[in-house]
Amino acid sequence: MRIRRVGAVARFELLSVVKRWSYLLATFGLPIFLAVVSGTVLGAQTYFLTQRAAESSDFGLVDEAGIVDRSVFEGRDGALVWTANANEVMLYETRDAATQDLESGRLRAVYVVEKDYLSSGEVRAIQSEKTPLLSMRGTTIEPLLRSLLRKSLVEGRLDSDVQERVISPAYFVRSRLGPNGAEVTGVDEALDLLVRTTIPLFLGILLLTALLSASGYLVQTVSTDKESKIVEVLLSSVTPEEILAGKLFGLGAAGLFQFAVWSSMVVFVAISASAALASVVSIPWGALAVAPLLFILGYLFLGSLMLATAALGANAAESQKLTMGWAMLAILPLMVLVILLDDPHGSLGQVMTWIPFTSPLTVIIRMAVDSSGIAWWEVVGAMGVLLLSTWLSSRVGARLFRVGFLLTGSRPSLAELWRQAR
Amino acid sequence: MGILAYRGVSKRFGQHTALEGVSLEVVPGEVFGLLGPNGAGKTTLIRIGLDILRADEGEVSLFGASPNSKALDRTAYLPEERGVYRRARVRELLGYLGRLKGLKRADARNAADHWLERVGLSRVADQRVESLSKGMTQKVQIAACLMTNPELCVLDEPFSGLDPVNVALVTDLIEERRASGRTTVLSTHMMHQVEALCDRVALIHRGNLVMYGELDEIRRRYSPHEVIVWTGTDLVALGVRATQHEAGAWRVALPPSATPAGYLQELVQSGVLVDRYEPLVARMDDIFVDLVGGGR
Repeated sequence: MRIRRVGAVARFELLSVVKRWSYLLATFGLPIFLAVVSGTVLGAQTYFLTQRAAESSDFGLVDEAGIVDRSVFEGRDGALVWTANANEVMLYETRDAATQDLESGRLRAVYVVEKDYLSSGEVRAIQSEKTPLLSMRGTTIEPLLRSLLRKSLVEGRLDSDVQERVISPAYFVRSRLGPNGAEVTGVDEALDLLVRTTIPLFLGILLLTALLSASGYLVQTVSTDKESKIVEVLLSSVTPEEILAGKLFGLGAAGLFQFAVWSSMVVFVAISASAALASVVSIPWGALAVAPLLFILGYLFLGSLMLATAALGANAAESQKLTMGWAMLAILPLMVLVILLDDPHGSLGQVMTWIPFTSPLTVIIRMAVDSSGIAWWEVVGAMGVLLLSTWLSSRVGARLFRVGFLLTGSRPSLAELWRQAR
Repeated sequence: MGILAYRGVSKRFGQHTALEGVSLEVVPGEVFGLLGPNGAGKTTLIRIGLDILRADEGEVSLFGASPNSKALDRTAYLPEERGVYRRARVRELLGYLGRLKGLKRADARNAADHWLERVGLSRVADQRVESLSKGMTQKVQIAACLMTNPELCVLDEPFSGLDPVNVALVTDLIEERRASGRTTVLSTHMMHQVEALCDRVALIHRGNLVMYGELDEIRRRYSPHEVIVWTGTDLVALGVRATQHEAGAWRVALPPSATPAGYLQELVQSGVLVDRYEPLVARMDDIFVDLVGGGR
């Protein structure tokens, strides 16, 4: 194989792709697009939550059992009001008065302590017709009412400290062991989730997208060569193996650059999260470091198969159909992502680490979720399997490529392919 | 020794036999005409010679050895199915094809500029190929083929789609190659171009070689034993087996033993005033139709 010719093919293919608008848009537009979408979603979510918070948080309480401790209520504008955790609870003497205020929209809900409460424990929660039943989820009113009822029931019957513990038996203080083994409190759950799940997920999706995108360029370039009928001109100057290698390297470089741009977005998020959670969680630097290597190996393996198969198609549409099977195999880890994120080092994760189609994505996800659970020999072994598979696929691929590249019209039978590829 | 030689070459595609035991060779410095009707096997023969396809049987040698990368660098090929990257710019495309033939980047760029000048396309060097007319695109392809000044150049239908001015340009380029000792294989259906350019020809029909040799010798071989005599004398009145060819000209069938020169001498000696005298030589069009027309 003549390196300079391979280089010439690679350079031409690389420049042909990177000068396209679609490539530039995908490379630089995707991070912006994702940022805009994420920003919009988060912004909308925040807006609606704020709106919800601004909604009436006044509740009515009707004490038909006559057991509620009224000492916590204070008189305001002729009414008895208990303020707790930004909620205001108004005590009504009759159910009708409370229902009227509920219908007028002044109250969000009315709670009625039924007459037989002591024997049944029943407290009726009434919402207005306009309020969705689910809208009460996430509010703190019901735990507060429980505390109030407990206080009312035990008031004066127990020692004050015991009474306090009956009302509030436990305040859970969340803490966890950080990467350095120290106990840390005050963990932000959202950021924790981001680092532990979102980063591996994004990294995996970006790796897969870059792999399929670069492979897609390969399919496209073979179709272009065949449709523009330049194949014979190329083959009278360079060997099919040189064309195959040149296309693989040239378009691989374009794909690698695209992946680098996209990964930098993940790195940026990781660094931002790291600043907030440095002592709590470790950033998956290992996964980020091996990602380019896994991309290159995965791409060379998948790409050589894609090129050979695409060459058998008579046109772009047919080539895409023929190569779809390889893409589906590569997507497999994404299909079982929930299992991989939940149990990255389980049997499924371990098996998929050794299958060349699934290993790049699986290894990345396993390393990103919990790098301590994957042994170094598994990472090196997966790369070894990928290297071996790439060697095999490129040898078979080059032969099929030679046969397929010159084909026009109908596709040959498998027997004919075998005969010509020998 | 042939620069490109085939010995007993056969090629089959499934049940279809594309070539059957073809043997011929192209010698250095000549313009070799590869003729045949559509689907005769010419393109397959060319592809095998340039190692694009492999023969099922027989041997091929290019520059004295089996076709290999080094030999291919000394050749160039203009296929009948024209191929270009339509989105590429003209200079960029030529530079790339030059690089594939082994030119260094600067040399490829210089050669591209030189050949665009030669074919009169300098002004479109920075345009995309898709913006060019069919004829201009064809000239770009011819420039790409000749830009490395290859020792062997295979041109498949180089004149199709060209206007008379550009046909003359390409004809001149082929003549130049012959004058400088370069070899050209010309596959064309334009028989008058074959007559004007080729030194030797081969005719392939249904995968078989049906005619092969020196152009002049073949034309003589297939010529009728007749002459055209321009004279004011009524030859029929003199008892000659002649028919009126055109005003003042007679088409005369020679006796089997007579030669054109001997017969001219006889006419002059018998007192006929000969204005002009020409032995009839078969046209390649007629030979082609005679050889392949029967079975079509």
